[in-house]
Amino acid sequence: MSLLEVKNLTIMFGGLCAVDDFNLSVEKGELVAVIGPNGAGKTTVFNMLTGIYRPTSGTIRLDGEDMVGLKPYQFARKGITRTFQNIRLFSNASVADNVKMAHTMHNDQDLAKCFLRTFGMVASERALDERVMSLLERLGLADKADFLAKNLPYGDQRRLEIARALMTDPKILLLDEPVAGMITTELEDMAQLVAQIRRDFGVTIILIEHHMNFVMPIADRIMVLDFGKTIAQGLPAAVQADPRVIEAYLGGGYQQNGNA
Amino acid sequence: MKKLLKTFYPALLVVALYIAVTLLRSVGILNGYYIQVMMFAGINIMMTASLNLVNGFTGQFCIGHAGFMSLGAYGAAIVTTMLFKNVPAFAQIPVFLLGLFVGGCVAALIGALIGLPSLKLKGDYLAIVTLAFGEIVRAILRLIQPIGGARGMIGIPNYANLAWILFFMTLTLYLLRNLIYSPYGRAFIAIRDNEIAADAMGIDTTRYKITSFCIAAFIAGVAGGLYAHVLAFIQPDSFSFTKSSDFLVYLYAGGSGSLTGSILGAALLTVLPEILRFLTDWRLAVYAAILVIVMLYRSEGLCGGKELPFMRISRAALYEKPLFGGRKKDSAVSGKQ
Repeated sequence: MSLLEVKNLTIMFGGLCAVDDFNLSVEKGELVAVIGPNGAGKTTVFNMLTGIYRPTSGTIRLDGEDMVGLKPYQFARKGITRTFQNIRLFSNASVADNVKMAHTMHNDQDLAKCFLRTFGMVASERALDERVMSLLERLGLADKADFLAKNLPYGDQRRLEIARALMTDPKILLLDEPVAGMITTELEDMAQLVAQIRRDFGVTIILIEHHMNFVMPIADRIMVLDFGKTIAQGLPAAVQADPRVIEAYLGGGYQQNGNA
Repeated sequence: MKKLLKTFYPALLVVALYIAVTLLRSVGILNGYYIQVMMFAGINIMMTASLNLVNGFTGQFCIGHAGFMSLGAYGAAIVTTMLFKNVPAFAQIPVFLLGLFVGGCVAALIGALIGLPSLKLKGDYLAIVTLAFGEIVRAILRLIQPIGGARGMIGIPNYANLAWILFFMTLTLYLLRNLIYSPYGRAFIAIRDNEIAADAMGIDTTRYKITSFCIAAFIAGVAGGLYAHVLAFIQPDSFSFTKSSDFLVYLYAGGSGSLTGSILGAALLTVLPEILRFLTDWRLAVYAAILVIVMLYRSEGLCGGKELPFMRISRAALYEKPLFGGRKKDSAVSGKQ
């Protein structure tokens, strides 16, 4: 049985079919990329996979368990967390606190202990802080732990989003355009980071991205969406050479002019 | 010893304040009127700090906080005036504390009842629900004749004195500070800063909003109980929307999202109208003008999200050994704030 099994996922917004019959099955440890032009429905797929939208029809199964109809926080608790394309950090909290906030669902200190700040509670906070610091260390953010999230440079904000998502102990990590707006060198750093996270945390990753040179070296499999439909899927090299993909990205006529 | 002092100096400051005030009163420099203003300042600090938990830290917008205060005031007054009236001296304090507790519980319970449906609403809608709530409580209290109806309740024993109020104020601030620097407080702040992200990170936002709302209602209830036992007289119209808006003014002038701001805002703005009494008819106009000037030049409030050291718990504090000062390695971290 696959870790994540998505079947016939469809969502309608009024008369508009944003995602039509999306199928995906992901094995544990895989890295799958979803690509496609703007407006293809990639983020909508993520929004359904994290409970923000409820699909009109179709099923989402994580470890065989039906997820449709759960709330976003329940998706996170079952083990699917995400980052956001338009960064959504807790901007007025420190970097360390941002990561700690993602640990809330694993918190075992009850309200009374928190009010009284018992020794046990302080010890648990210290253990959490040590864990958070070692995570920030691995993502290269340790020296900025006490900065406010909103004061971080853009690239670090992206990293912080990933650190925060990892703190929930996800089975599946969804990265929504992790290199949007980044320059080439940053892009390479991020590709390394994603590969490292996959190795170190043994987490399954699904990512959305436009940059082919980012996706190609790290993805095991690629799915291509266009106007809500899956137009191609398979190994990176095969997908890259697929004429339908080239047409979706570059428009018809590109090949005919002999530029492919 | 040094560490003990470092931990408890805010409480010692309050004790020192109390001793100073008592001395000044005994030599006749301060009269009962000043003491009463101080008591109201203490109660207003509790009200503002609890409102801050909902509005400033959890990012909701409650504008009917006086409603909870009135529930607490009536709840406590019913216990001390009707259930246990004319108790012997030794039983007065337990009855008083029981009254405050009952007042807090009534407020928290009603807080949960109106919070459950309305905290799913966002922004303006929640404001309207809480506004309506405050007015409904007032309207209902006016109708209940056994507790005086619109005329109010008289003959409440004046158990509350400055010492009690300072004690409860300090306790409230201490507990709230601990809460804010705990997983609960972080969840509240996460909801305030980005509710969608908080949800996506596994935080049950409705549950935490209700928790925050109930805690604030409980504190407001206790503050209301103290208020009733200072004035010895309460009437529904003392807890109108004007009262709620006072707390909002204290909160935003002091700086929302800062407990220090609540202390400063409530204390200064309670005292200011009294200081301005020499202006007679112009008093409230000048008061309002001062507020406008503060908000123009410091739109984020006096404290603007910042805290004094004793209202903050830094990361480095986690690594300090109790009573013996911090380890060297970790003190390097705190220097960076």
